[in-house]
Amino acid sequence: MRLHRAVLYLLPLLALGAKLAAASGLAFVVNSGGASISLIDMSSEKEMHRIPVLREPHHVALTPDGKSLLVGDTVGNEMLFLDPSTGAVQKRMPVADPYQLGFSPNGRFLVVNGLARNQVDVYDAASMQLLKRFPIASMPSHLDYAPDSSRVFVSLQGTDSMVAIDLTKMAVLWKEKVGKTPAGVLWHDGKVLVADMGTDYVAVVDPADGHVINRIHTGKGAHNLFVSPDRKIIWVNNRVGGTTTSLDATTLTPIRTYTIPGGPDDIAFAPDGRLWITRRFAEKVAVLDPKTGDYQTIDVGRSPHGLFLNPKGSAEPSVAVR
Amino acid sequence: MGDPFDLAAGWLQEHLLIPLLYWAGLMEWEDVSYGWALFAVYGACQVAITFAVCLPLERWRPVERWPDAQAVWVDVLYTVISRVGILPLFTFVLFYRAQVALNGFLTDHGWVPPTLERLLPFLLGAPVLTFVAYAIILDCADYWRHRLSHMVRWWWALHSLHHAQRQMTFWSDDRNHVLDDLISALWFGVIALAIGVPPLQFPLLVLVLRFLESLSHANARVSFGWLGERLLISPRFHRAHHGLLAAGQRSCNYGAVLPWWDMLFGTADFSRAYVATGDPSGEEALATGSYLRQQWAGLRRFAATFAGPVRRRT
Repeated sequence: MRLHRAVLYLLPLLALGAKLAAASGLAFVVNSGGASISLIDMSSEKEMHRIPVLREPHHVALTPDGKSLLVGDTVGNEMLFLDPSTGAVQKRMPVADPYQLGFSPNGRFLVVNGLARNQVDVYDAASMQLLKRFPIASMPSHLDYAPDSSRVFVSLQGTDSMVAIDLTKMAVLWKEKVGKTPAGVLWHDGKVLVADMGTDYVAVVDPADGHVINRIHTGKGAHNLFVSPDRKIIWVNNRVGGTTTSLDATTLTPIRTYTIPGGPDDIAFAPDGRLWITRRFAEKVAVLDPKTGDYQTIDVGRSPHGLFLNPKGSAEPSVAVR
Repeated sequence: MGDPFDLAAGWLQEHLLIPLLYWAGLMEWEDVSYGWALFAVYGACQVAITFAVCLPLERWRPVERWPDAQAVWVDVLYTVISRVGILPLFTFVLFYRAQVALNGFLTDHGWVPPTLERLLPFLLGAPVLTFVAYAIILDCADYWRHRLSHMVRWWWALHSLHHAQRQMTFWSDDRNHVLDDLISALWFGVIALAIGVPPLQFPLLVLVLRFLESLSHANARVSFGWLGERLLISPRFHRAHHGLLAAGQRSCNYGAVLPWWDMLFGTADFSRAYVATGDPSGEEALATGSYLRQQWAGLRRFAATFAGPVRRRT
């Protein structure tokens, strides 16, 4: 009888323990149109909470020490610093039009593109002091660095060009035509790959002078591209076609095209080998199994854009209840 | 399951706007075009809901009955143009770059455009409260915009188009000269720089406010009672503003949603009930002309103010 009662008392604790054990992994999905960030439990693939943001957040970047996740709110002119393990807001900092952002591989610089204001800001990553502002027309959108952090490459979505900035001399190296509407940028194997949203290809660009070496056809509205953690596959999201194309990272030849409707945009790679893809017009994240081509969907907020997965994180108890 | 309005906007974006932008070589605008798609979907819903509620009201308790309601059809056109996003798209294209340039200029000089939530941090995470705070401030700003549009001679020449309608119905809310609409967009653009207006964060609540504005123009004997009239603007209250005696500089009841500003600034008139509407000083084309004739007549009246005194009822 006593044992029975003890089990009854323990049941809630056991249930809580099971819940905590299951809640491993925290995903952050930035809802650009909904002014919020969805926190998703990666194990149950359910949204747990939304962090309110001022106006229009877009992209994320993890600080080099891994202690903060930066989220840029463009219209709100604000940078949010979140705890990547719990989602707790660490601080909010006024920053002009932070659209796409990224830390240099050596951790020294933070480059922030102001898409609406036609500016590329270079910050000292440690102090967050603005080192230099480059007024560059028009619509600087995506970026990536050379591995030695000496240069940053920025696509100019409002033009047909990309710009290379020398971070040691703080000067523009070149600005060259690379496509109709350049968007996603990725340094890969000594070249710069640029997705061209205005056409259906990824341009392979020589980082030395900006001339286009090759064009890889992927799908209508090639928008953004990411390299897999094992660096064997490059994934390209095609906005207009509603597809995701995998490219062999060595040969850059297409391997397979997956149908992901609803405006596929950013990608993050989960430890189980699946890809998390934001679908801008569907209020959903697709979790794609590349082996089968099947995908699960997770409901999030309006116009989901940037995302970040922390397999070791879990939402702190104070924010875990919606 | 996502928000049905958002999903409808997403469908519009994916299947119509994006292919159109891709075809036209304008893909750089694909991100911002989603905002327009949302605006169009919510606008269409506004029109449908307003129609479903106001039309029965107008049939049930009309203030006036007209043998021929031909003049109302032009107001229907004004509503569609304004609310499904054609006019907002036009003003966006016109003002977007200017606003961004000004915003950038101010930020470069160390003045990050503020927001109410930054001034009052407790508002962040309280969306309804935030919206109410913005709605009150913007309603006050609209009161003064509207009052000035009566006081300033050239502005009244444009705004008189709104008052020319003798067959006022719930469709009449959007009957404005395009220049008057552009001035409004500029007015609220400046306010956005000062307090930061959340563009599409609260579309459902915006839908409710726009519904109330349409309802206030309805040709219906509807009053909210002594207390209700002092909390929200009713068709009875706003009709006094459109009365024959109120067209021009010395009007009354300028408010759009809240009557508080009229009460506070001494322009409220709760005594006039269900008066005849129109602007006797305006030419006939402003009242019964086609859309283009009304716009042209408004433009001529506007231009004439710079040449000499405009006839105005005071």
